[in-house]
Amino acid sequence: MALPKRIIKETERLVAEPVPGIEAVPHEDNLRYFDVSIHGPAQSPYEGGVFKLELFLPEDYPMTPPKIRFLTKIYHPNIDRLGRICLDVLKANWSPALQIRTILLSIQALLGAPNPDDPLANDVAQRWKEDEPGAIATAREWTQKHAAP
Amino acid sequence: MEENPHPPKRRRFFAQSSPSPSPEPSDPILPSTPQRESHTFTTNNDPSSDDNATTTTPFVDQDEVLDNQDQFEEKIEEDAEALDVQALGIRLDAVMLESFVGEKLSADVLKRLDDISGGDLQRAINMYLDGSWQEAKPSTSRSSGKQSPFNSLFGQAAKRKSSTAIPQESSAGTPASDEEIVQRLDKMPLERYIGAFGVEGWATRSGRNLLSHDEVVLIERQQPQQVQKTVRRGKGKAVAVVSQSASKRRDTVVRFSNSKGEEIGRLSQDTAEYVSTLLDQKICTFKAVCVYAPEVIRTNENIFLQLKCYMLRQTFNPRALRLSDSNRSTGLFEVKETEEEKALRLRQTSLVKLFNEIKLYPTSAGQDLKAKREGLLQGAEMAEEKLEKEEAAKGNGTPIKDEEEPQEGKELEQDQLDQLYKKAQTFDFNSPEAEPAETFAMNLRRYQKQALHWMLNKERDKKNEGQEESMHPLWEEYTWPLKDENDKELPVVESQEKFYVNPYSGELSLKFPVQEQNCLGGILADEMGLGKTIEMLSLIHSNRNEPEVSSASESRAFNLPRLPKSSDIVEPAPYTTLVVAPMSLLSQWQTEAESASKPGTLRTIIYYGADKSLDLRAQCSAANAHNAPHVIITSYGVVLSEFTQIANTVSGARGSSGGLFSVQFFRIILDEAHNIKNRQSKTAKACYELDAIHRWVLTGTPIVNRLEDLFSLVRFLRVEPWSNFAFWRTFITVPFESKDFLRALDVVQTVLEPLVMRRTKDMKQPDGTPLVPLPPKTIIIEEIELSKAERAVYDFIYMYVKRSFAENMEAGSVMKSYTTIFAQILRLRQSCCHPTLVRKKEIVADELEAEEAEAEARGLTDNMDLQALIDKFTSQENEGEFNNYNAHVLQQIKEEAENECPICSDEPIEEMTVTACFHMACKKCLLGLIEFSKNKGEQARCFSCREPINEKELYEVIKHESENLGGLSAFKDVNYTPPEFSLRRLASGKSSAKIDALIANLKRLRRENPGMKSVVFSQFTSFINLIEPALARERIQFVRFDGAMSQQQRSVVLAKFKSHVGGMVLLISLKAGGVGLNLTEAKRVFMMDPWWSFAVESQAIDRIHRMGQTEEVVVHRFIVKGSVEERMVHKIQERKKFIASSLGMMSAEEKRAQRIEDIKDLLS
Repeated sequence: MALPKRIIKETERLVAEPVPGIEAVPHEDNLRYFDVSIHGPAQSPYEGGVFKLELFLPEDYPMTPPKIRFLTKIYHPNIDRLGRICLDVLKANWSPALQIRTILLSIQALLGAPNPDDPLANDVAQRWKEDEPGAIATAREWTQKHAAP
Repeated sequence: MEENPHPPKRRRFFAQSSPSPSPEPSDPILPSTPQRESHTFTTNNDPSSDDNATTTTPFVDQDEVLDNQDQFEEKIEEDAEALDVQALGIRLDAVMLESFVGEKLSADVLKRLDDISGGDLQRAINMYLDGSWQEAKPSTSRSSGKQSPFNSLFGQAAKRKSSTAIPQESSAGTPASDEEIVQRLDKMPLERYIGAFGVEGWATRSGRNLLSHDEVVLIERQQPQQVQKTVRRGKGKAVAVVSQSASKRRDTVVRFSNSKGEEIGRLSQDTAEYVSTLLDQKICTFKAVCVYAPEVIRTNENIFLQLKCYMLRQTFNPRALRLSDSNRSTGLFEVKETEEEKALRLRQTSLVKLFNEIKLYPTSAGQDLKAKREGLLQGAEMAEEKLEKEEAAKGNGTPIKDEEEPQEGKELEQDQLDQLYKKAQTFDFNSPEAEPAETFAMNLRRYQKQALHWMLNKERDKKNEGQEESMHPLWEEYTWPLKDENDKELPVVESQEKFYVNPYSGELSLKFPVQEQNCLGGILADEMGLGKTIEMLSLIHSNRNEPEVSSASESRAFNLPRLPKSSDIVEPAPYTTLVVAPMSLLSQWQTEAESASKPGTLRTIIYYGADKSLDLRAQCSAANAHNAPHVIITSYGVVLSEFTQIANTVSGARGSSGGLFSVQFFRIILDEAHNIKNRQSKTAKACYELDAIHRWVLTGTPIVNRLEDLFSLVRFLRVEPWSNFAFWRTFITVPFESKDFLRALDVVQTVLEPLVMRRTKDMKQPDGTPLVPLPPKTIIIEEIELSKAERAVYDFIYMYVKRSFAENMEAGSVMKSYTTIFAQILRLRQSCCHPTLVRKKEIVADELEAEEAEAEARGLTDNMDLQALIDKFTSQENEGEFNNYNAHVLQQIKEEAENECPICSDEPIEEMTVTACFHMACKKCLLGLIEFSKNKGEQARCFSCREPINEKELYEVIKHESENLGGLSAFKDVNYTPPEFSLRRLASGKSSAKIDALIANLKRLRRENPGMKSVVFSQFTSFINLIEPALARERIQFVRFDGAMSQQQRSVVLAKFKSHVGGMVLLISLKAGGVGLNLTEAKRVFMMDPWWSFAVESQAIDRIHRMGQTEEVVVHRFIVKGSVEERMVHKIQERKKFIASSLGMMSAEEKRAQRIEDIKDLLS
């Protein structure tokens, strides 16, 4: 199936005007599949880490959101052990006007501002609420351990 | 000769008849006149005349029962005597000859003179005087030795061949002219062997050794009880028809006797049937030998004979049995058959049967001889049965025996029409050309010059030399047998190898029956686009009467001849050609006529509506030569209305009206002549009545779907004898209906051949180039996807129709509810175009009416569903608030106009569409988004602000580009005005998938080919009504042309379309614009809806893609995907390609069945 014009355009733009701290490279053999890496935002427990993600544009894209998942282990209340992300724009609040770039920016922002009230990883969220410094320390630890560039 | 009972009477008779009103140039009887006196010496002088004495026994003895005046007797005598004299072999009037040359001639000399001169007195005299007769080869084999021994044996009954060799004639070999028929006839032996056959007879007496093998048997006709004479005074002497009263059972007994003259028996009934007729009507004589007879014969025992048949010379006398102008076939189908007609019919069937018996087959005739003969007998049988029924007579007169195998199916598979046209189409590319007159302003192509030459020839009634004459379609050619039944050589008759029989009328001839052609016009059936009009105009210029120059100075305008108004005389209009054309073409004719003529050389007027106050009699008369119009163009409607007017006046006098019927035109041209294809229509009848010297019809389709279509043209052209419908019916319709297609088509073909000139566009010239090089034509089928709402309406109707059809199928009432079903299918097809079409009251009404009863039983719930769906489709809110919104958003739109679509990233946005929250994307993206959410069962939200959105609140941004011809909108030069915008609610119910597709195409066209004109065809004027506002919104220039418009309006519309500078769309209904129009200004065609057969669409397309087209033509056909339209195009139109032309072979019932098949296909 031919690749929609929109995907081609987005890919071109991701390459031509990359977002600082974010890389997305499509697979040679499947242009709907991207290897993504996001730099942990500054002033966050994830600072200094480079997180790998995989991103897949489903058939219905952009009517449906891309499927996206962390490959690098990360200690975050909105990301579970399997790397799945709890983010409204990836679900109900998706809009076809959103793009790969905007989604990745949202994820980067999520790293900077964890939201334990809308948790995906319940244990992490619990700890974040009860012992935020401890949780942040763990997050930092994990970043060092798993996301070292 | 010795017995010469009424010489004075005979003389009187000849005296009376020589100035007889016979129209023929030469009377065939006359040549024998000089022989009258010859008996004085020939009796004794000719050595071979031993048995000449009583040649006429079988016929003359009818005298006694003749109930009529001496005229008939004389006829018989005359025949008898003619035979006698001829039997001597000398045709010259010896007394006359001797008196001319001034000396007494010996019998030998006479004989020789006679032989070499062929009986021509003048020639004989000349030859004698110049001595050339001595050099001339004397007759060679005048031997009687070669003749069958029977001659001497029963000289009583049968005359012998008097001369078996005819001297060679120096002038022989030319085709038979009328005089030559006579000579030719004279050269023929008195009787000539044509074949033998075995028959069975019954003994009527008993006895021993009455008849032995090989004994010669005498065949005798029992004397008929009653002989009637049915001769007309005028042609009386030529018509010798002997016949019995029709009300009585025909006496057909034929007896035979042995050489001693004792009557032995009679022929079996079957044989006697026709033998009796042949004998009675003096067509043949029979000589018989006994093949087998028992030694002791008992009554009723079978005796086998061999009959040898000899044609009598007199039979071939061309005028001897010529019918008067009332033709025989009327008798077949009308109430009463006259005696004369009956005799003819008997003769005809007898001949056919005889030929069957002796196995004599034509050397040239329709291939399917067997079927032909059967058909003939069948036809006769039909007549017979009818006759019997009517007269309630007992028993059957002529039982017809072998009814054999039905027609093979093979011919049916062939493309009949093609076959039919084939002959007319074998156009000779080397046929002569003619240059048009000086006054003609256009250049003709080669084939057009050839047409001109042909037409000029037709009008001047010159035979096309070099072109072989076709045999008259009703005749068959036979070869005289060369060997007799015992394989012995028969004497050869010089230059008479063939004879000709008209098995339909029983006429026989020695002369090649040329198809006569007596109409000074014809059918110009060139395919559409080859320039029939131009060809015709070149003829108008090239063959016209010129007024005398001298009178030019007179002021004719004030010198109009004063004709009494009441005069009934039809005034000749020697300078005027009348053109009758469909209303829509009137102005086109005039324009073309003017542009084809050098200025001032052709006066044309349109005779229509208010313009027809002229008195044509005064205008066109010879006296008004210098002001008389050369061409009068009028419509079929005008012809009809004037015709009706005249017919309604008390007198019915044509002259007094001063209209079309009061003059005899120089020439009439019927354009698109298939308008008169129905011979019973008033229009056709009116056209037949128009008077002119030259009559032409123009049509691309001389046969639309029935052979009778052609008849009407032929009738108009007054081509004899075909213009008599009864005749046509007998020879074409009846065989055709009895599935004898081949024969019917054969005849039609022969009718057509001399009359028709037809070339087709795909004909190639000898060098391989096409006749008319036309720019290419591309047909694109555009598949249209219905919107959801449209689809819902469509599906609903589809299910409904399908169910109703299935129910009807089950109930076996398909044919009965044909109309209902058809109306439903129509609705279905309309729903493909635009759902609101289905709401059209008049259409719904049709259907409702048909199914009223049903509907009541079922309740109207279904229809209410439908109504709800349609309402949904067309729902509209009030426009007030819309306007505010409109103003508010415009600014924003202008700013964003160059953006890319946030959904598909296209740039610029295609069909910019704005949501209620002012966010803009492509129309299809927005609709897709809404669609997607709906499918997921979610509320669709704006892609940008997540406000709920729906289809009804989407607004399309209409960008009104000022039409600029150079396509310069991209260059922002000084004059560039920014495009104007406006908004239109998307789902306003005024558009449909098809309209959108059309608009998109037209907009692209405007962008890419500014100034290009296009034509949009639809078969539904109601659909055109909906397309109009859509075009108007897009500010696309358009005009409309449909059947409801007056002539005036039509020509205004066409003129506007043609003269408009820049792009324009012509909306035209398929029916009104399918024929005739010339729309070569346009280069694009849009077919909004498919028709049952592509031929109709193709015709419409050819309005644009025709001669004069200079550019490639692109045709877009809009077909809704997954709908009946798709099936119409791919299944039904495909199939029609093969059967369209054979549709003519179907009855109305079959056609319906065919349609039902179509519908089945549609709904499958």
